[in-house]
Formats: sequence, structure tokens, C-alpha cells
Amino acid sequence: MLEQLLIFTRGGLILWTCKEIGNALKGSPIDTLIRSCLLEERSGDVSFNYDAHGAAYTLKWTFHNDLGLVFVAVYQRILHLLYVDDLLSVVKQSFSEIYDPKRMAYDDFDETFRQLRKEAEARAEELRKTKQVVGKPVSSVKKQGQVSKAGLEGGNKKMSEGGSKKDDGDGNKAKVGNLTNGHSNGNHRMEDDSQKTDLANGKENTTDNVALDLSKLQKLRSKGVRGRGGIRKADSIGNKGSKVTAAEPAKKATKKNRVWDDAAPKKEKLDFTDSVDENGSNDHVDIAAADQGESMMDKEEVFSSDSESEDDDEPGSDEKPEAKKKGWFSSVFQSITGKANLERTDLEQPLKALKERLMTKNVAEEIAGKLCESVEASLEGKKLASFTRISSTVQGAMEDALIRILTPTRSIDILRDVHAAKEQRRPYVVVFVGVNGVGKSTNLAKVAYWLLQHKVSVMMAACDTFRSGAVEQLRTHARRLQVPIFEKGYEKDPAVVAKEAIQEATRNGSDVVLVDTAGRMQDNEPLMRALSKLINLNNPDLVLFVGEALVGNEAVDQLSKFNQKLSDLSTSGNTRLIDGILLTKFDTIDDKVGAALSMVYISGAPVMFVGCGQSYPDLKKLNVKAIVKTLLK
Amino acid sequence: MENLEDLKILAEQWSHQGIEYLQKIPPTQLYVAIGVLLLTTILFLLSIRLFRRTKSNTVLLSGLSGSGKTVLFYQLRDGSSHQGTVTSMEPNEGTFILHSEKAKKGKIKPVHLVDVPGHSRLRPKLEEFLPQAAAIVFVVDALEFLPNCRAASEYLYDILTNANVVKKKIPVLLCCNKTDKLTAHTKEFIRKQMEKEIEKLRASRSAISTADIANDFTIGIEGEVFSFSHCYNKVIVAEASGLNGETVQVQDFIREYIKP
Ligand SMILES: Nc1nc2c(ncn2[C@@H]2O[C@H](COP(=O)(O)OP(=O)(O)OP(=O)(O)O)[C@@H](O)[C@H]2O)c(=O)[nH]1
Ligand SMILES: [Mg+2]
Repeated sequence: MLEQLLIFTRGGLILWTCKEIGNALKGSPIDTLIRSCLLEERSGDVSFNYDAHGAAYTLKWTFHNDLGLVFVAVYQRILHLLYVDDLLSVVKQSFSEIYDPKRMAYDDFDETFRQLRKEAEARAEELRKTKQVVGKPVSSVKKQGQVSKAGLEGGNKKMSEGGSKKDDGDGNKAKVGNLTNGHSNGNHRMEDDSQKTDLANGKENTTDNVALDLSKLQKLRSKGVRGRGGIRKADSIGNKGSKVTAAEPAKKATKKNRVWDDAAPKKEKLDFTDSVDENGSNDHVDIAAADQGESMMDKEEVFSSDSESEDDDEPGSDEKPEAKKKGWFSSVFQSITGKANLERTDLEQPLKALKERLMTKNVAEEIAGKLCESVEASLEGKKLASFTRISSTVQGAMEDALIRILTPTRSIDILRDVHAAKEQRRPYVVVFVGVNGVGKSTNLAKVAYWLLQHKVSVMMAACDTFRSGAVEQLRTHARRLQVPIFEKGYEKDPAVVAKEAIQEATRNGSDVVLVDTAGRMQDNEPLMRALSKLINLNNPDLVLFVGEALVGNEAVDQLSKFNQKLSDLSTSGNTRLIDGILLTKFDTIDDKVGAALSMVYISGAPVMFVGCGQSYPDLKKLNVKAIVKTLLK
Repeated sequence: MENLEDLKILAEQWSHQGIEYLQKIPPTQLYVAIGVLLLTTILFLLSIRLFRRTKSNTVLLSGLSGSGKTVLFYQLRDGSSHQGTVTSMEPNEGTFILHSEKAKKGKIKPVHLVDVPGHSRLRPKLEEFLPQAAAIVFVVDALEFLPNCRAASEYLYDILTNANVVKKKIPVLLCCNKTDKLTAHTKEFIRKQMEKEIEKLRASRSAISTADIANDFTIGIEGEVFSFSHCYNKVIVAEASGLNGETVQVQDFIREYIKP
């Protein structure tokens, strides 16, 4: 049974709901859908699962972009209604015919809806029958047949691809290919068996796995805690994933080396990884050096908008030559009159160009794709404004989307949080996590430096009891910055060291404890378990993921796996995930700022700091507008 | 004197030359030229008129998501919240005379009301509207106030320190909404709590000046505990219930700054 079908404006006014269904929805699935899916640039997805307040709903939606309407259907997940996409699209069509912006009540639509629903149910029934009767159905029927088979496993991509494209009237030709393609990508919402068979099919590749992680994470984020079955499932996938990505480290190492070389001349300044020896022979490190001026966190950034003026002309040059030839005149004419409605085919070219541009900026391919889908969903059917070109409309929509994503959903005012903790007479605890060699300790020191400048007393906790030299490295920083350091050598369990450090900080009245942890690859099960233990035991105020700004596609893997492992391995009831991101080596990437976007999109956590150099003051905040501009340049 | 005569002759000569020159030009070209000239002047005058309209009639509804802005918007416009609302993805905008004024006779100046979504991802939208705002209604959920107090205060702080608001002294109405429910907090309590929060923010924010969170100005008086009365602009506290249509105080506020 359909639980509910709503029609509302993008402004948020409900225009029509199905009254005859009657029973009220549990929880607030619609608001959740809007907040954690549609506003997170995931409207290109096929369905959204809502689990809360004892409900297990699946939501599907469609937009009428020209009228600014949203149609959402809610149904019980176990029911696998097959006619929902079909119903949504016919409802959209008939409703848009009677819609009048000045009218607020559409009681007369009740009757229409009843009819439409009956027809849609009948069509679905019909299809089911033909599928049973005819062994090998043809063309569109075949498609639907497949859908119903796979669709039984839960809402999935194929289904709505069939459904939503149908109403475009752009034929079925492309769809078969799309189906097989989408097969490996779109299955992420199916349950156990189908996933396994899919994996066994050997169709999967790394991005696939990432896709799995991604959606799972998303689910996780909205759901909070997961059941036991979920854990088992995730484990099996995680293992598979590790196999697939096993080849990665080698690649990574070389990449890192190259970077090291780039940074070599400046390197010695802050990096004490090698230069230390235990006997304190580096006692002479001059403490005065610690005062290197104002941290860049506090400086107003002047963003040089290098080539703003050419922004608008560029898309044209990206398009294929034949597209250009197709008619300068007609495009000018279109832009003056305002074209009828944007169709999927109009958007294809500019979106493809945009996706490629994002990828040249080092945005992970998967994410560039998802973003484009979301922009497409928000533009399809919209009227092109006068005096605008499609490419610039698309670019504008993408710009809005990027700004939305990068705008933090929660306050990133750490100092305010520190003061709040202080009022409660407890230290504010930050745990730095990340893979090896990204600069955790160095950037921890930069954060300490910045905090010190704001009269916040800091204590460091050396909980990297894994890599030799790590404690000494941190000690050197502590000495230079003249902050206390809590260390217990290499023998101890890091979780316990952190706990003792926090107790010590409470005793001596430190405001902030910065916990350094061992770098670990996201697939290293024992180390990830240790990290999860540390976080669960100490319940820090902030789990800061330190990541290199250089990473491309791998960003997705790192962050999603970290988050996933943290939640899978969590022992307590409330799962802690990554709260914020510190991007390092931002000065070495030129305009390839894509990692910032990838990481934020994947984790939903804001970029709180950006490390941009080799000295203590080189710590900045992310300038969202500048990043967006760079991404679209 | 002689100079003047000379000039006169010179001018006459020139005008002769000019007329001769004009006669050489084909008349169609002449008409076109005159047409273009006229058109530009008309456009010019129009644009001046447009930009001269200094008295803005824009009122912004802002506040956290779920505080009841959209309900309030439709209450003010239609005197009804229709069939309810969901989280807004786009601003609601409209220029109209308030619903309660519909019965009144005579010409009433319409209000341009904008309901800016409260979801934090959509915050940047507010900045687009601030430059044209004549007044701001900041809606606070008085029912679920405590869990949201900090977030709401931060949002309000960003507004109060915005350059447009400070420079133009845009008045702000702190509207405690949902007072139809018994458990709603009083406006006095809400004012005090928010002042306290902003005081804390003042301490931490004055330290940071970020490129992003555009806190263009600082507020309050150095060395004194923050109170809304310290703001450059007027900050007034009021109560309302969007759901029940008790919006008199909001209407009065709007009409104080957008004279009918
Ligand atoms: N009890 C009560 N509930 C209200 C009142 N005003 C709004 N609500 C409820 O609060 C919820 C949110 O109202 P909206 O107007 O959609 O909130 P909003 O401020 O527009 O939220 P965003 O669009 O997300 O920024 C709705 O469920 C309303 O029914 C009121 O005066 N009293
Ligand atoms: Mg709203």
C-alpha cells in the first residue's frame, strides 16, 4: 500500500496530499528526505530509505522544475510497490495541467488521483502477467520485467531509470545499455543476496565498492545506529573491498614520493619525523622560533579572482565543435526568446563538459557524476530564462549546488566550543585521525599554535604508540610551542593513554587536549579497531580527519571506509563518525582543489582547517566561495 | 562686447554648416538616429527612476529550519497556513498587502515579503536578500527553544554583524513563534538566553576573523555584558503563533517600517 503521496512547492507549502489513505506517517520522512537527500545534492538518487520511529519507508520523488513542484510518494519498504514511478510521473503530468500558482487547494484532484492510481495499479498488474505468460518479452516490456524481478530486492536504480525516462518520450533505445551499465552501479540499495551475486559476477570494480560504501554511509548517517545484520553485511563487503583495493598502496607510495620532492626544500622546517633522537640532543631547538607570527587562520583571505571575466565564455570552448556549429544563430535566438523547456538531451552536453571540468580539478569521478545527476534533476523541464545560454544555466545551478555542499551544516567555531567545555570544567578533546603520512602531527602542532594565540591552554597527547619516532616528533613540537605533552612510550594501548591524558588535563586545567593517533590505512582492521576503541572510550568533542588535499578518487575510499569502520566497530550505542576535516598540503595542489569537495560530500563533515605551508601559522579556514570559483574555472 | 559678436557670428556659421550637413544625410538614417537617441534617454530616465526608489519595501523572514517562517509567510499573505508545510528548499517571495489589510479602503503600499529557508546549506541565500531588506523578522521556535538556542543565536549573530544590517541600521524583530502551546518559553526568557549566547560568541568570534563567515562588524559595547539594546540597529522582541494566525505584533512591526 502506498502510505502517502504529497505534492508541495519547492518553497515548502503542501498543495495536495492523499486524504483517503488517511493514516498519518510515522516520524517526519518528508522533512528528512529534503534535509538529508534533496538538499545534500543527492536528488539524482532513485529512492530514499527512512528508518525511524519504528517506520521503514521508502520514498521516491520527482520534480517539476518549471513549476517548482515536488512530488513524493511514501510506501512501506517491504511492499516493493512496482507502480510508484509510473504513478508519480502520471500524477506529475495531470497535476501540472491544473496547477495555478495562485491556487492553494486542489480538492478536485482527489478524484483524478483515484483514477490515476487505479490505472497505474492495473498497468503494473498487467506487466506482471505478461511477464509470467511470455517467456521472453520484448523491448519495454522486457525492461519492466527485469525491473520487477530485481525490484523485489528493494528500491533500486534500474526501476526508476525505466520509469522516469519513459515519460520523457525519448524512446527506449539507450535504455538497455543503460540498464546493464546501471546494474553494477545502481544496486546499492539491494539487500544481501543480490549484492553478493553481483559481486560474484565479477562486475564490480573499485568505484562500485565505493558506491556501496557511499550509500551505506548515507543510510548510516540518517539512521545513526545499525542492526546486527547490517554489520555482518558490511563486513563482507569491506573484505571484498580490501581485496580490490589491495593494489592501491603501491600506487600511493609513488605518488607521495613525488610530492615529497616538491616540498623538499621547505620540509625541514616543521617536520621532525627523522631529525629527532631520544637523548634530547635537540634541546637547543630554539623556543623563540615558536613565535612565528599570527596564525593564518585569523587573517582575512584576499582571494585573487584571476580570470573571472572569462568564466562565461569558457563553456562554449568545452563543447564539441559540431555542437558549436549547430547554430550560433539558433543559440542566440534561443537565448533571447527563452527556450521552451530544458530537456535531458539539452543538458547532456554541458553536464558532461562540467563533469570533466570537475574531474580535472581532482574531484572524485563518482562524486562529479552524482553532482551532475543532481543538477540534472533540478534543471530538467525548467524554462530557460531569457538572455541565458544552457551552459551558463547549468553552470549556475552547479555553482549553487557546490556552495550548498561546502557550506557547513554545523558551526565550525571551535573556540566557542572550547569555551563551552571550559564552563563545564572539562577539557575539549580533539582526536586527529587519518592515513599514514598525511601530516597529522605537523598539523596538530599548527592547530595548537593557533589555539595558543587565542589564549587557550593546550595539551598534546601522544597516542601514536605504533610508529617509532612518533612520540619524539610530537615532543619536539610540544617543546617548541612550550605546551605540555602527555606520553607513555610505545607499549601502552593508545585508548588508555588518551584516557589518562584527558584525566591529567582535567587535573591541571588544560582547556584543550589534542590527541595524536597513528596513521592507518583504512583497510587495516586491527588498527581501525584500536581507533574505534579510542574514540568510543574517550568520546572526544571532535574527531578530525586529516587528509591530503592531493588525493583524487581515493578520498572517497578513505573517508567512507573510515566512517564505516568507525560505525561498524563501535561498541557503544551511539556511533561516532568523523566530525570535521583538516586538509593538508593545500599549497601544493594549485587549482586541483577537488579533494575538499569529495571529502565533504562523502562525509557530510565540514572542512574546518586547511594546512597550507610548512610553518606554524600556515593554517587557514576554507574559503568556500574561492573553492567554488576554482572548481568551476 | 566684440568678443560676444564674434561668437555670435561663429555660432551662426556653425549652425549653417550643421544644417547643410544634416541635409546631406538621407532622412531614414536621420530618423533612426533620432529614434535611438530618444530610446536611450527614455531608458536612462527609467533606470534612474528604478535606482532612485530608495525606500525598499522588503521584509525578510529568517530563522532556523522549522521555526515556522513559511507558515508565517502564508498567514501574512493569505490568513491561512493551508495544508501545512515541509522544509523549504527555495525562498518564498511575494509582494502583497497583508491579509488583514484586505478589508481596508484606500491605497495601501504593498510589502515585499521574503521567506528565506533556514536549512544551513541554504544560508548563503540570505546574503542575496540582505542588501534590499528594510526590516528583518527573525523567527525563533519558542517550543523547542533550548536545543536550538545556540544555533539560533549564531544565526542571529551573523545577521546582526552583517555589514548591510549594521550600516543601514536594519531593524530586527525577534519573533518568538508557536506561543499557542503552553510549554512555549516566554519572550523574556528567550531574549535573555540569546543575549547570553551572543555574549559568548562575541568573545570567541572577536578573536577570529574569517574570510568565510563574514562577520563584518562586532557588536555590543566593550567591557559590558551584551544586550540587544547595544546594537546599532533596533532589536525588538515579540510573540506570535503562525499556526493560529496570531501575528498582530509582526504586522505592527512590518507596518512601522513599511508605512502603508
Ligand atoms: N504549534 C505551532 N506549530 C507551528 C507554528 N508555526 C509553525 N509550526 C510548525 O512548525 C513546523 C515548521 O514550520 P515551517 O513554517 O515549515 O518552518 P520554516 O521556518 O519555514 O522551516 P524551513 O523552511 O526549513 O526554514 C510545521 O510543522 C508547523 O506546523 C505555531 O505557531 N505553532
Ligand atoms: Mg520554510
